[in-house]
Amino acid sequence: MEKIFLKTDFGKTIDNYEFLGLNKALRMKPSEVLEKVKENCIRGRGGAGFPAGIKWDFVAAEKSEIKFVVCNGDEGEPGTFKDRFLLENLPFKVIEGIIIAGYAVDARYGYIYIRGEYEKAIKSIRESIHKMTERKLLGKSILGSSFGFELKLIRGAGAYVCGDETSLLNSIEGKRGLSRIKPPLPAKEGLYEKPTLVNNVETLSVIAEILKYDQNIYLSLGTPKSRGTKLLSISGDVKNPGVYEIEFGKMSIMQIINDLAGGVKGSGLGFVMPGGIATNIISDEQLDTPYTYEDLEQTGSSLGSGGMIVVSKDRDYLSIVKNISDFFMNETCGTCFPCREGNRNINKMIDKMISDGKVGSQDIEIIREIKQAIGLAARCGFGQASVNSILSILEKYFEKKVYV
Amino acid sequence: MTYCVKINDREYKFDEEISILQAAAQAHIKIPTLCYNEKLAPYGSCRLCSVEVEGRKTLMPACVTKIENGMIVKTHSEKVRRVRRTIMELIIASHDISCNLNCLNCSRSSSCEIRQVAQEIGIHSIRIPPIEKKQSVDSSSHAIIREPSKCIVCNRCVRKCAEVQNVNVLTVANRGPKTIITTFMDRGMGNVDCTNCGQCILECPSGALHEAYHLDYVWKAIENSDKMVIVQTAPAVRVAIAEEFGFKPGTIATGQLVSGLRLLGFDKVFDTNFTADLTIMEEGTEFIKRFKSQKKLPLFTSCSPGWIKFIEHNYPEMLDNLSTCKSPQQMFGAVIKSFYAQKIGMDRDKIVVVSLMPCTAKKFEAQRNEMKGDVDYVLTTRELAKMFMQAGIKLMDLSAEDYDSPFGESSGAAELFGSSGGVMEAALRTAYEIITGHELENLNFHEVRGLKGIKEACVKIGTQEVKVAVAHGLGNARILMERIKKGEKFDFVEFMACPGGCIGGGGQPIPTNEEVIVERMTAVYDIDTLAKHRKSHENESVKRLYKEFFGEPLSERSHELLHTSYTVRH
Repeated sequence: MEKIFLKTDFGKTIDNYEFLGLNKALRMKPSEVLEKVKENCIRGRGGAGFPAGIKWDFVAAEKSEIKFVVCNGDEGEPGTFKDRFLLENLPFKVIEGIIIAGYAVDARYGYIYIRGEYEKAIKSIRESIHKMTERKLLGKSILGSSFGFELKLIRGAGAYVCGDETSLLNSIEGKRGLSRIKPPLPAKEGLYEKPTLVNNVETLSVIAEILKYDQNIYLSLGTPKSRGTKLLSISGDVKNPGVYEIEFGKMSIMQIINDLAGGVKGSGLGFVMPGGIATNIISDEQLDTPYTYEDLEQTGSSLGSGGMIVVSKDRDYLSIVKNISDFFMNETCGTCFPCREGNRNINKMIDKMISDGKVGSQDIEIIREIKQAIGLAARCGFGQASVNSILSILEKYFEKKVYV
Repeated sequence: MTYCVKINDREYKFDEEISILQAAAQAHIKIPTLCYNEKLAPYGSCRLCSVEVEGRKTLMPACVTKIENGMIVKTHSEKVRRVRRTIMELIIASHDISCNLNCLNCSRSSSCEIRQVAQEIGIHSIRIPPIEKKQSVDSSSHAIIREPSKCIVCNRCVRKCAEVQNVNVLTVANRGPKTIITTFMDRGMGNVDCTNCGQCILECPSGALHEAYHLDYVWKAIENSDKMVIVQTAPAVRVAIAEEFGFKPGTIATGQLVSGLRLLGFDKVFDTNFTADLTIMEEGTEFIKRFKSQKKLPLFTSCSPGWIKFIEHNYPEMLDNLSTCKSPQQMFGAVIKSFYAQKIGMDRDKIVVVSLMPCTAKKFEAQRNEMKGDVDYVLTTRELAKMFMQAGIKLMDLSAEDYDSPFGESSGAAELFGSSGGVMEAALRTAYEIITGHELENLNFHEVRGLKGIKEACVKIGTQEVKVAVAHGLGNARILMERIKKGEKFDFVEFMACPGGCIGGGGQPIPTNEEVIVERMTAVYDIDTLAKHRKSHENESVKRLYKEFFGEPLSERSHELLHTSYTVRH
């Protein structure tokens, strides 16, 4: 069943949302807040799962008069809509998390970058910033403390790649949305070449929630490698798609689909993309896998950003492959050769598979090589993950048939 | 600090924290690249330089990854070679190579960087069919043609235009497979602030950029027996054309060039150096006049048409500072179609003036409304090499011949026009002697020579000091112009659009890089040193031309034929 932790305070307004986490944080030393984030073992919720505390440490350690906190709300991954849920329904918690992060790493300026299509979320955050500024929860001396923080809303212009943190920084600066060459990491030279902390919407909201508690609440939730709860966006061929919160390790993929999402629509389950279209699919025999970072990695897939897509047996898998390929082909920033040309050529090959009505083993072999080239040599995570689901569907459902 | 790095199982030590690419180069290992140029900011797009670094999950781009102490690198392992082959296959598929064998008619058929890199990588099969891009050719410019279908979006032209030239007319647009290099609002090279310098062409690895060809027009003119076809040769071409025939940079081929041009069928082979001397007489006198009256200073040189278009776009408020002298190319055309036509009793319409230039902007200059008709066609060094090949002429096997008279004579000073600082040096030699009336003892003005971006000197002429400056490459030109705008005082400033001056021009053989430019520069100064006369005012033919036709520098007739005006562009 759902574990309501992050979803607490659903529907509260500025009048009854208490900003407990922020209140507590401001009474602690910044280093103590940082320590608490580390102790709770929060992993970044944007998709990579990097420990948030370590990231915060990097930024806190930088000596600079100006630092930035950037909240990444450019949720562009097909099948992922949990940040949208938070931005629309729990905007104060999101902003609270941003302010706490600013306090902990000594940044006085923040940006929240929201996907351009999220009109309701943008409105909600814009109004919340306004209200919080009025109540002195943003601006100079927040809640009477000596800490001041300004937050600016940036609306994305529709490029998926801007969800990559360095591309997002370029976009805020008004530059072309393409990933930056690392190093330097954003923690050292980020926005306008200043130390910058970039965190996902969910990550920052979780931190606001954790700070409410005196004990390290996350340590009592989940597994040692996957602490706490996770918001899941479930979509596809399920009866009740939506955003659900679950505690790590307490449910298997199958239980999530049946108990939370109401079961599969159609004549039976085909496959699941557990972490969105950039992750490998998992099939029948792996459905008992418990929902944790570590268990999903074991299957060769990944939890990604928590966008689970369920596909029924009735679907035409090749047209799904084509749909995914269209997305990646059109959304690469177009900078690095393997990603731009690799995804373009894969798309052409899939077109040909569809028009020929067959999938040749040599085609799969070439796609496998392209995937390897992109995976090993692309400029950013976008490219590196772009062929995962495509190849895994082809390998699982089309390659074997050639040999049977 | 010393960095110990193991490259392909061998230990190397480095003193600096350089990139893996540079470290490998020092170890005599070439890692293939397409988007890299050491003079430009690294971009990391081609990924061909990816190498294995122990402890890293993915391969690392050698161009932007710095060496670390104890690092273990494999530059050509099986894994690396396989990834490179796949990427290269993808690049080839996107480069508009069709089964119509369009490699053969490519501007870069003999200098294709993609082919060279494909060889380095060892492409043994092409399994990915070519992608038809069907993008239309941009022929909006008089000087530079873009064939976007061949473009692999390596971004080198964009960076060259922005970082070296600070002109910024090229940009990346769109995303995904629609990613292209284009001009502002897709307007085309002829409709933006392009200076026509052609530095982008030198940078392009793929043949997506080349000059607007005139060679077919020239062939036609040569074939036409009703026309007298006269060719003029710019100073920077003779020190570069041999490279197109496999000779090393800096080889001087003046005499071979003259005989080759005769073999091609030109009726007269004259020298732009002659009008370079004429330019010095006019511009030197103009400087003396302005300097004495202290008006419209500093005087800016006007030989480089890329620089002219640059100042017209960017600093139109300072056009009065430009010398009104036409460039040597245009002076030559004007003299031929007036004085010479008259002298040989021929209708000027029957004369075709072709100029041989290291430059693409000269094609634009010849079309300018202010002086249209002086010069009919402009060939770049590369185009002329193509003509020689088409005619089966093995240029460097020819015996040297002399230029035709009367426009074949020139001074060493005129040759200096080919190199950055040369116009300044030539002008100073003449101005000194005219102002002081004494012979100049040391002709070599070393302060204005060399590859430093902005060169400055204080030259004592008689009792007065003349403050001069030289900038080459439009990026440096902009820096110097900003200083001048802020109030820094100079008397005479030479500007050249291309790094190194004309020897580094956008029409020169490829590659044109710093090492090559240094060799060509040395050759320019060698020609000057060995010249019979080394000062423009000692050119006997120029003296005769004044006596017979122009009277004196800045005379009414010279104003009419040898001077021009400029256009304010925004």
